[in-house]
Amino acid sequence: MTCHYLRKRGKPLANDEQKNRSPRNWPKLLGWTVVPVLLLAAWQISAVHLQQPWLFPPVSRVVEQLLHPLRQHYASGSLLMNTSVSLLRVLIGFALAAVVGIPLGVLMGSVRTIRGLIEPLVELLRPLCPIAWLPFAIAVFKLKTVPQLFGVRFSHTILDHLQLGMIFVLFWGGFFPILVNTLDGVMGVRRNYLLLAKTLGASRLQSFVHVCLPAAMPMILTGLRQGIATCWFVIIAAEMLPGSDSGIGYLLIYAADQSAMDIVIASMIIIGVVGALLSFIMRWMMHSAVIWQGKE
Amino acid sequence: MKLNDPDRPETKVALELRGVSKSYCSESGSLVQALDGVGLTVQEGEFVVLIGPTGCGKTTLLNIAAGLLAPDSGQVLLGKGLRQGDNIPCVFQHYTLFPWRTLLHNVTFGLEMRSIARHDRNDTARALIAKVGLSGFEGAYPHELSGGMRQRGAIAQALAIKPKLLLMDEPFGALDDYTRMELQQMLIDLWQESQITVLFVTHNIDEAVVMGDRVIVFSERPGKVIKKLQVKLSRPRRGLSQEFTKVLVELRQSLGGYVWPGE
Ligand SMILES: Nc1ncnc2c1ncn2[C@@H]1O[C@H](COP(=O)(O)OP(=O)(O)OP(=O)(O)O)[C@@H](O)[C@H]1O
Ligand SMILES: [Mg+2]
Repeated sequence: MTCHYLRKRGKPLANDEQKNRSPRNWPKLLGWTVVPVLLLAAWQISAVHLQQPWLFPPVSRVVEQLLHPLRQHYASGSLLMNTSVSLLRVLIGFALAAVVGIPLGVLMGSVRTIRGLIEPLVELLRPLCPIAWLPFAIAVFKLKTVPQLFGVRFSHTILDHLQLGMIFVLFWGGFFPILVNTLDGVMGVRRNYLLLAKTLGASRLQSFVHVCLPAAMPMILTGLRQGIATCWFVIIAAEMLPGSDSGIGYLLIYAADQSAMDIVIASMIIIGVVGALLSFIMRWMMHSAVIWQGKE
Repeated sequence: MKLNDPDRPETKVALELRGVSKSYCSESGSLVQALDGVGLTVQEGEFVVLIGPTGCGKTTLLNIAAGLLAPDSGQVLLGKGLRQGDNIPCVFQHYTLFPWRTLLHNVTFGLEMRSIARHDRNDTARALIAKVGLSGFEGAYPHELSGGMRQRGAIAQALAIKPKLLLMDEPFGALDDYTRMELQQMLIDLWQESQITVLFVTHNIDEAVVMGDRVIVFSERPGKVIKKLQVKLSRPRRGLSQEFTKVLVELRQSLGGYVWPGE
């Protein structure tokens, strides 16, 4: 955003360090400090005036909820527990999607026959919203959980909330962004680098390992980032649907039924913050893994 | 067929092309003939320059010599001990270093492919990096190097695999005059010291005369050899000596080019 702003004025792009110190950055500074504070103040004042906390709770009550993440909300558990359940589901679904998506994308990108065979299927299934898999997943997996896969009926841990159906849906959410980006990355490797490797004595396998994979790495990581973001979207939606009994999305809809708007808003804030954190962590990992990206 | 056969013991040929032709099928489906019956030889230890108008198939020819492309017809004969994809590296104009590797690891790339021990290959690479004048930049990524430094690195990368024949495709084409002259001198020094054979493509007439033992002139597309010129000037070939200018003019004429009035 800052780049755009500077470029419009015909100024050369400053490097990151200068950009942050530049006095032109005051809108961003205010945007992070004064604007939110003003908004919160306006919210608090109007909520106190309205006196309808089931519709529009004051900030203080939401903050109070956020400060007590371990408080049990009837049968639905605490904020922290439900957030952990959602995160754990996402991480497992996402990991599965990566474990299948990356190798398959690499394979499709490098073997034309496999690409030809699988691509139509991918194009057909990809536009399908992952949530649309849920009824099917529930019908197939019933309410089976991960521990039950290993013959444990109840482990009495958080693992009992890892329904296979949820993970199945999350898998589809993460799978396509990862697959498609990996595929594009592998297919987009500059031929010049492959030729260079060949003249320097690389075998086909070596070219693949030492040229294709590193060259595709930025795209693979982009896929992972999109994948985890999609998974986080999908889990919230899936948990809000009937048939779910835990997760932050479930707590959100449960609290809404109880007209506990403070918990609803606290859940929304948690969902936003966790999503932003996931994206931030992925971006940070990308940054350190491919410092050369975009600088060829 | 073998080169350097006992019938011709006096010639030690590194590379010979006989009647090499190559056509491309363009995206629109039409056939573009890039090379038309090209024949040339490069002797061992020789510095041969290929020059010709743009699009005449110089890159195509180098790719064929490097084994990256197969000719439609004709033969590519290699001297004893030369193997494509083994000791015939190619230095390009762009995309010469892998952007995801540091300079050091770019130079060690070929040695890594040959499973040479890490310690040994790093030593070799450091020595070469010093030789091309990049000491202190071992840990730099290509995007942190200037254009000239990148080409120095690319030369070190190619030399690391102990080439028998070094192919160069307008390696200095994107450099400013000053850097170009520096690198020309460096390359000539390296060549004289290491006894490798060089086949060097350029579109710069001056560069051709400065660098080449022999200059081979190509016609417009489809590329054919239209002139072979022996350059018998002593090295280093700096300055505007009369002999230098004479060769320059001769080359210019053969390229159908422009000659100063009064020459
Ligand atoms: N992959 C390709 N597909 C189709 N046509 C090609 C391809 N590569 C080259 N050509 C054509 O073959 C001809 C020779 O190309 P080449 O790159 O060998 O020329 P060049 O002499 O290296 O030119 P320059 O001096 O501009 O680098 C050109 O006219 C080009 O249009
Ligand atoms: Mg070319």
